[in-house]
Amino acid sequence: MSDTTTNSSVESALSPTTGEPVEVTGARDKLGVWMIIVSCTTGTIALLVSYAYLWSLNVNGAWAPTPGHANWAPVWPFWVIFTAMFIATLIMWNGYRGLSKGNVGGMKSAALLSSLLLLAAFIGQVVQIATFPFGPADGGYASAVLWLAIANAIWLFVAIFLATAIFNRTRAGRVAQENPNHARLVAMFMTYLCVASFLGCVFTTVMQESPNTNSPPFGTFSQ
Amino acid sequence: MSTAVAIHEEAHVPQPKQVGRPGGFLRRTNFLTALISGVVTAGVFWVVTDKITTAVAGAGATNSMALPSGLNINITMMYIGWVIGFMAGIGAFAGPIRWFLGHDLTHADAEYMAGKDMGREKFWKFTTDHKVVGIQYLVVTLILFGFGGLLAMLIRTELGATWTEVFNPNFYNSIIGTHGIVMVIAMIIVISGPIGNFIVPIMCGARDMAFPRLNALSIWLLVAAVPPLVSNLLMGGIRDGWTVYQPLADQAPIGMIGYQICIITFAFSTGIASVNLITTIVRMRAAGMTWSRTPILVYGILGSSIMGLVWFPMYQYSQILALSDRTLLTSFFVPASGGSVWLYENLFWLLGHPEVYVIVIPATAGMLEYLPVFVRKPLFSYRLAVAGIFGVVGLSAVVWVHHMYMTGWAPQSNYPFMLSTEMISIPFSFLVLVVLGTMWRGKPWKRLPMMAVYAVVWNKVIGGITGVFLSDTPVDQYMHGSMFVVAHFHYMLMGAGLFGAMGVTAYFFPKMIGRYLDEFWGSVGFWTAFAGFQVTFMSMFVAGLQGMPRRVLQFDSLFNISNWISTIGAYIIGIGMLIFLYAIIESWRNGIPAPDNPWGGKTLENFTTTPVPHENFPVLPVVTSGPYDFGTPDPYELADDAIMQQTEGAEKVSAQS
Repeated sequence: MSDTTTNSSVESALSPTTGEPVEVTGARDKLGVWMIIVSCTTGTIALLVSYAYLWSLNVNGAWAPTPGHANWAPVWPFWVIFTAMFIATLIMWNGYRGLSKGNVGGMKSAALLSSLLLLAAFIGQVVQIATFPFGPADGGYASAVLWLAIANAIWLFVAIFLATAIFNRTRAGRVAQENPNHARLVAMFMTYLCVASFLGCVFTTVMQESPNTNSPPFGTFSQ
Repeated sequence: MSTAVAIHEEAHVPQPKQVGRPGGFLRRTNFLTALISGVVTAGVFWVVTDKITTAVAGAGATNSMALPSGLNINITMMYIGWVIGFMAGIGAFAGPIRWFLGHDLTHADAEYMAGKDMGREKFWKFTTDHKVVGIQYLVVTLILFGFGGLLAMLIRTELGATWTEVFNPNFYNSIIGTHGIVMVIAMIIVISGPIGNFIVPIMCGARDMAFPRLNALSIWLLVAAVPPLVSNLLMGGIRDGWTVYQPLADQAPIGMIGYQICIITFAFSTGIASVNLITTIVRMRAAGMTWSRTPILVYGILGSSIMGLVWFPMYQYSQILALSDRTLLTSFFVPASGGSVWLYENLFWLLGHPEVYVIVIPATAGMLEYLPVFVRKPLFSYRLAVAGIFGVVGLSAVVWVHHMYMTGWAPQSNYPFMLSTEMISIPFSFLVLVVLGTMWRGKPWKRLPMMAVYAVVWNKVIGGITGVFLSDTPVDQYMHGSMFVVAHFHYMLMGAGLFGAMGVTAYFFPKMIGRYLDEFWGSVGFWTAFAGFQVTFMSMFVAGLQGMPRRVLQFDSLFNISNWISTIGAYIIGIGMLIFLYAIIESWRNGIPAPDNPWGGKTLENFTTTPVPHENFPVLPVVTSGPYDFGTPDPYELADDAIMQQTEGAEKVSAQS
């Protein structure tokens, strides 16, 4: 089995806990992160399906924000936040590629810059949530958009944690040319977050007014 | 099987600087600190949230049950505080914080965390060794079954006492719902938890799971998830069945929040466990263990993990959004303000139905694993078994709507989903066929695990056939919501899942515990429970066919006799299960010590010592043959080989000429 070679090699870094080459543990970690991404994708789909479902059904005509009391959310903040995430991800990938060629300083800078951009995006996301022109109880659209934004904020928080950890670990020499796996894994995960955020942006941009303008009453089921 | 030298030696591996004693912060944490931390954090979260909600305008708003959103938020945050505090108190955050700060574990740290040379204390700590986690899962599963079983006895007592009302109707509904979800959770983990964690890494020839810390995280998240669920009985209960359909759930008392927090937390636990099992199976199989030499149990756990990984987030999000409706007053599922109950039902059943296969597939694969050992024959059509498992995994994605035939949602989709549901019986039949084919003309060694095979085949055939009826839209229109449905799914979940799990547990018990399960008392308990099971649920089929609806406290006297019989059967099940539990406890303490290869199996766990050493194998194994190479080869396969060799020879000759 490839991951059971003796540790006579000095070229390859070894995992301090198991003694295996980091390429072996890295391959394992990579599959694990892919699996996490699969699971997170299902969660994202659940949110997007909820959005599309309520949008298309327009239950009791209550998809749109309550007129006179609430309004559609402006679209541009979604895209600004996404753009910040996208750039942060590109920077992280660039840092990883540089690290593979031995540019440790570049990786440190990339991780730091990426963290800062993600922090800015996170703050932007919180501000956006706080300034939505609707409250949570203002219909299906308000609910769906609110939760897309909350989910994005949670993921941004996680991404900040990960990117900052890569900065710390690069400084400590744990992420290095011979052991760049964690930087790559974080970049992979950030890429997924970008895709999820992008889909959220598309949904909130394209799917505002419900196509179901003559929805039948569904009943309220209230006691 | 042969072995090759391949072992890490810490002396040659550069180690990070050891800060303090190995284990660090985790030396001070255990279950007790977790409990204290959880309770304290829950209290702090309650107080802080209460201050905020009373200060913020809008806290006086009410949900559709006229419960103030402030109370809902307080209780939600209290439960969240419990989970966070409990996990902090057990030491779950030490690893991520250490990683964040750029520190790595040393080998000594890892060994401490794995509980090396630690006594029983390791079972109460955030221990990473997969064998410890497996035992922890086993104990938690037994506790859950005990609690769920007790609730089942209460339910049957109520239904059997047709002349009086034993419980308040609301409390009765609450025990119905709590029994359902507790048993579903227990059934989901009954094989994947204990056996998946303890046996599968050894069976794959690995030293541990791929991510040992995530492994410990998964079991302790499960432990943290249970108290909020149980506490619902003190806070109005969950009166809406285990499915907690909307908008009833939104109108339910605050006990519902415990259910929702439990499911959200449990989904994290399941997701993490699935990631770990899949990665271990795919990446850490021994040298020579090709996919065609991989034991069938490993395939079963893999299939189950894939389904859990992909579908559980749907269920998790259904509960997150439902909780949001309750606390933030959003309207995902509240029709009055734009929500849809159909949306809830779709999200719920997207996991709710595959969950049946998450339960049944590992139990079936476990039986297929030991069946060749007890008939001393190769597994009949190994590839058919693999095809059956992954056929079920694939089709599980397209069957959920059969739970919604009667909801009025997209009636035009009923027939396609009727077809897909009936189709899934085909790969399931493959698995039954493999069982029968393996037993064909064999001379089974009649021990307890083998007995379970007969029981499960019987139960699965009944559960499967009645399932085909229920998948049929016209029949479902009549049978929907009746006791017939209850009897059907108990035949699948308990009849095939739990009885299968009992057999699988009996088989692996010697390897896990180091002692054989008491054959006499184990068999007495098993067959008593089996007999009680038939009495209970056959009678329930009759009640269903007579038209008795499910989830009712009071019913027509027409159904009295079948309910009396069912209740008697349920008590017999209870007695049988208690005897089986006695066998487990007694065998654990005083059972006959097991040798290294307790049953003469050929899979890798039989090639290490009993009890299994700290890192499983002194040297990592290399697999050179299949896991079921018992007896002489099948004469038909020999003939096939001869034909193949002749063909290949002819091809070579023609190529040369």
